[in-house]
Amino acid sequence: MTRVVLVPGVLALLPEYAGLEDPVAELRAACLGAIAWLESGPVTVLADPQGARVAKALLEACGGFEAQAPGRLRTSTSGGTAASYLVVGNGSACRSERAPGHLDERAAAYDDALRAGLASSDVNGLDLDLGRSLLASLDGIARLPEVLPDGTPAQIDYDDDPFGVQYWVMRWQA
Amino acid sequence: MTLRLGRHSFEDEATLMMAIVNRTPDSFYDRGATWAEDSAFSRVELVVSQGAEIVDIGGIKAAPGVEISAAEEMSRVVDFVARVRAAYPTLVISVDTWRASVAAAVCAVGADVINDAWGGADPELVDAAAEGGAAVICTHTGGVTPRTRPYRIEYDDVVAAAIADTVAYAERAVAAGVSRESVVIDPAHDFGKNTFHSLEVTRRLGEMVDTGYPVLVSLSNKDFVGETLDLPVGERLVGTLAATAICALAGARIYRVHEVVETRQVVDMVSSIAGRRPPRRAIRGLQ
Repeated sequence: MTRVVLVPGVLALLPEYAGLEDPVAELRAACLGAIAWLESGPVTVLADPQGARVAKALLEACGGFEAQAPGRLRTSTSGGTAASYLVVGNGSACRSERAPGHLDERAAAYDDALRAGLASSDVNGLDLDLGRSLLASLDGIARLPEVLPDGTPAQIDYDDDPFGVQYWVMRWQA
Repeated sequence: MTLRLGRHSFEDEATLMMAIVNRTPDSFYDRGATWAEDSAFSRVELVVSQGAEIVDIGGIKAAPGVEISAAEEMSRVVDFVARVRAAYPTLVISVDTWRASVAAAVCAVGADVINDAWGGADPELVDAAAEGGAAVICTHTGGVTPRTRPYRIEYDDVVAAAIADTVAYAERAVAAGVSRESVVIDPAHDFGKNTFHSLEVTRRLGEMVDTGYPVLVSLSNKDFVGETLDLPVGERLVGTLAATAICALAGARIYRVHEVVETRQVVDMVSSIAGRRPPRRAIRGLQ
């Protein structure tokens, strides 16, 4: 059995950037809830370097997990023991005038397409160049097909853009 | 160091606002505005709503003036302390007095701190504080008599004198039975000091912090600010806050103030710059 969780690479989730009040409390709760659903033990992290730091911090906050870099990946079709994956990525950062990348009219449609792809675990047609120009974090998401069969439905725990950046927390089981 | 003020404890690095509440007809800043008991109580309500952790209730102005007997001082503060205690169980109540008899009376009705602004002039004050379970603020006055102004006082090294006297006083308080974590030292700006002395004490406050005792500073609208900027009482807030920032960077723990909101902002900002306090809420660039 394979369990996969997606969280956004939000640096405000890192303990070194903690303020007295948590600006992402709801998102953090969703992330921790989803991660707790993974099988305890080793968790393979699919992320860019900053996202890997976020993953490591969240896994440590949950406790009982051990982050590991991806080696030779396998999908659930290869059978065998349970495997857990934590994917770090998010949609565009250009969804409003106050967003880090300001408002880009293409952002909403891009994120809609990405959401639909993630919801059915089919991101093969992703436009990575456009995503990069919209400041989307896609390194981990682009590797999703390596660990999940296309068409695996997602449970969506969080779907919002509180700072003009599109965040999702999703989980898949296959 | 952990700080215990009567029935209240505070974590390391916590900074505290001590709001001045005068039950006097003639203090220099408010000029009797809170002389009436109800006015003083309204002042307590205001400063609590502004976030002050401590109120410092005083029945005698610091400057020379009509002599106030111990009985008169008690009539001004004891019942008032009891009223504040009943209304605000979690508020730290300090009483500004140099008299042991007044200290004993206010401890009996719920005072947490005895703020001895005159540096141990009454040797029995520490015994009263110890018996009452209160903390003591040990100030440096250069040995002057209470309610006198400095006149041609000089020091070889004012900071060394302030450290020697306040630490000696602190040790006397501990020997009398006051808990060590309930002893605070205060260089006492303007008390037994000219403006140059107060500026130097401000500049070198870190040396007092290095003693390990929590340091209180009382800077608010004082003459050393007024003389430095040539400004009258009422126009000294900015100068007060500048001095506050320097003391906060050095690590002062308690700030005796007229203006709670402004001082809290300065102390929080400086504490965050110093890396002792996280920002309230940070998301810029971290989304």
